[in-house]
Amino acid sequence: MATIISSEASNQAAGRRPPWSEIIAFLAIAGIVVAGVLAGALAGASPQGILTNVGFYASIAVIFAVMALGFNLQWGYTGLFNAGIAGFYLIGAYTMAIAITAPAPPIVIGGIPVYPGHLGGYSLPLTAGAILAMFVSGATAAVIALPALRLRADYLAIATLAFASILQVVANNLQSVTGGAIGITGIPKPIEFSSADAPFLNAITIVGIGSAILLLLILLLEFMAESPWGRVLRAIREDEEATMALGKNTFNYKLQAFALGGALMGLAGALFAVTLGYVSPSSSFAPAVTFSVWVMVIVGGSGNNRGAIVGAFLIYGLEWLSVQLKDYVPIALATGLPILRSVLIAGGVAAVVTAVLVVVLGRDRPTSIWGRILEKALRRGWGRSAVIGALALYGMGWVFVFLEEHAPGAIGTTIFYLRLMFIGVLLILLIIYRPEGILREHKRVLR
Amino acid sequence: MEKAFGGIQAVDRCSLTVLPKSITGLIGPNGAGKSTLFNIIAGLYRPDGGEIWFDGTRIDGLPPYEIVHLGLTKTWQIPHELRNLTVLENLVLAAKNNSGERLLNLFLRPGQVKRDEKQWRSRAREVLKLTQLDGLANEHARTLSGGQKKLLELSRALMSDPTLVLLDEPVAGVNPALAGSLMDLIEKLRQNGRTFFLIEHDMNVVMNRCDWVIVMHQGRRIAEGRPDMVKADPAVIDSYLGG
Repeated sequence: MATIISSEASNQAAGRRPPWSEIIAFLAIAGIVVAGVLAGALAGASPQGILTNVGFYASIAVIFAVMALGFNLQWGYTGLFNAGIAGFYLIGAYTMAIAITAPAPPIVIGGIPVYPGHLGGYSLPLTAGAILAMFVSGATAAVIALPALRLRADYLAIATLAFASILQVVANNLQSVTGGAIGITGIPKPIEFSSADAPFLNAITIVGIGSAILLLLILLLEFMAESPWGRVLRAIREDEEATMALGKNTFNYKLQAFALGGALMGLAGALFAVTLGYVSPSSSFAPAVTFSVWVMVIVGGSGNNRGAIVGAFLIYGLEWLSVQLKDYVPIALATGLPILRSVLIAGGVAAVVTAVLVVVLGRDRPTSIWGRILEKALRRGWGRSAVIGALALYGMGWVFVFLEEHAPGAIGTTIFYLRLMFIGVLLILLIIYRPEGILREHKRVLR
Repeated sequence: MEKAFGGIQAVDRCSLTVLPKSITGLIGPNGAGKSTLFNIIAGLYRPDGGEIWFDGTRIDGLPPYEIVHLGLTKTWQIPHELRNLTVLENLVLAAKNNSGERLLNLFLRPGQVKRDEKQWRSRAREVLKLTQLDGLANEHARTLSGGQKKLLELSRALMSDPTLVLLDEPVAGVNPALAGSLMDLIEKLRQNGRTFFLIEHDMNVVMNRCDWVIVMHQGRRIAEGRPDMVKADPAVIDSYLGG
């Protein structure tokens, strides 16, 4: 009950209060970066190496943010569920690669074909490649949507899911166009550096270009989505039949939103091709990419462009952090195990003593200070959640200790995979306590 | 006109005429096909047979958004408010030819977009004053009560400046005083040249406010005439009004 009342109160006071959601989102992202940097520093990486690493995080997060913006336009605003984000991403990446790389003829060594070659070698400028990538992805989205949007909503999801799976197989097997399983390598960088710190300089240029594009996109999308045009999109999301009865050709709007969203996913693919310097039909275009973007938009807040970006930086940040921790945690555990164990024992004893004091003294004398603390903590949802959370953390600490004792090194290798569990837990908590996402869709007050 | 769902003939060779500048009532027992008939006229369902003419134009088979542009709108029996949009947004959406709703205009004609939007917003505020929802203009439509949602339906229908409005139970769930003033408003709008075709179970409204009443039963028109004539019709009493 208390949470409901407080959320309503915060609604009314939304204009005057500090923007807590934004502050929390910023702190969470900053915390991830700081943790990653610390892990790198403790593992003994050079400052430049750490910066390059952070730059890599930022450039991939920007790519996911562009995809999340595209999906937000399709689903957050218009209610069109796209289950083939990875497919449009793949099209953008390959289009970019084919457009801007130099010719790569097939390689045959001793009669054995080593590399099948690929279409293109047009050496177009990067801008032309990016525009082409957006166009091809957007046009493909429109072609898929043309039949699928006329059917019920579920069919769009099925059609796009199938489309993405087919594309990955095609990229693998249409060797003369895509270079097969090896893919397309040697994609030019925006600026070619030849000095020793080239990786660092490359990371910096990519982050610069990506941030500029992201800034431009958010301005453009805010302008479009918050216009009368965007209002029709939101109306379709709420009730398509009613919107049609209000005189809107809803099919045209859905087509526009879906194609524009697809074009953004293509742009993300183009950025990806340039960032990595090669494309191959690997896990980069697996369905997991699609699922990640869903989570990003849901966590960040659908129907809110800034939310989509926050979600991308947060969720990809967890993934990046897990890679950083993988290098550091085994070392830390190996040396810090005795300390961790004594901390856990001391913490456990302290917690039991406090709990006994609070419960026993609180029961006997409900008006005492302990009684009031107990009553207050139990009455509030967060009090109970905090206790459960603390217990879970404590239990996890012991699990870590026992694992390290009986299977040394196991944690280091599993922590990378544990990230999925963390993201899952985050998602569940969010859906329970804040289903509208970290940055909720705001109410449009018209004057 | 005909419409069948599976084996059920919802509207069965039902032929009727609504005279311009009239308030015509459509009554009949539940499941008679009244709402289906409205959905067919508004273009939401395709008729299986027959023709619909509106103001000299044949409209059967046209998509609903084109029918709206010809000047025919409908309200829903169960309110179809756009829940997460504000009341004002709900109304502005019902505007016809708002240039900002075309993507290209946003970039090519920003001045026109701004002017149109401003004009439609002030029109929306006028309509909201008529239906007494002006205090809720910037609230989410989902927060409205059942009766207020009905009013929102009517307000949206008035936004597009229609010549014929199909009202599906406009006053069901609206308090008696407001229902009275709503019907006064409809009467006034009729005198300005609009036509109303309404489904209603409130016999008070039907008998006192309508000029012509059509009675449907099992998908067919079983009677029509002035309210007092219909009231006395034995077939109507038998199937709908009861003894």
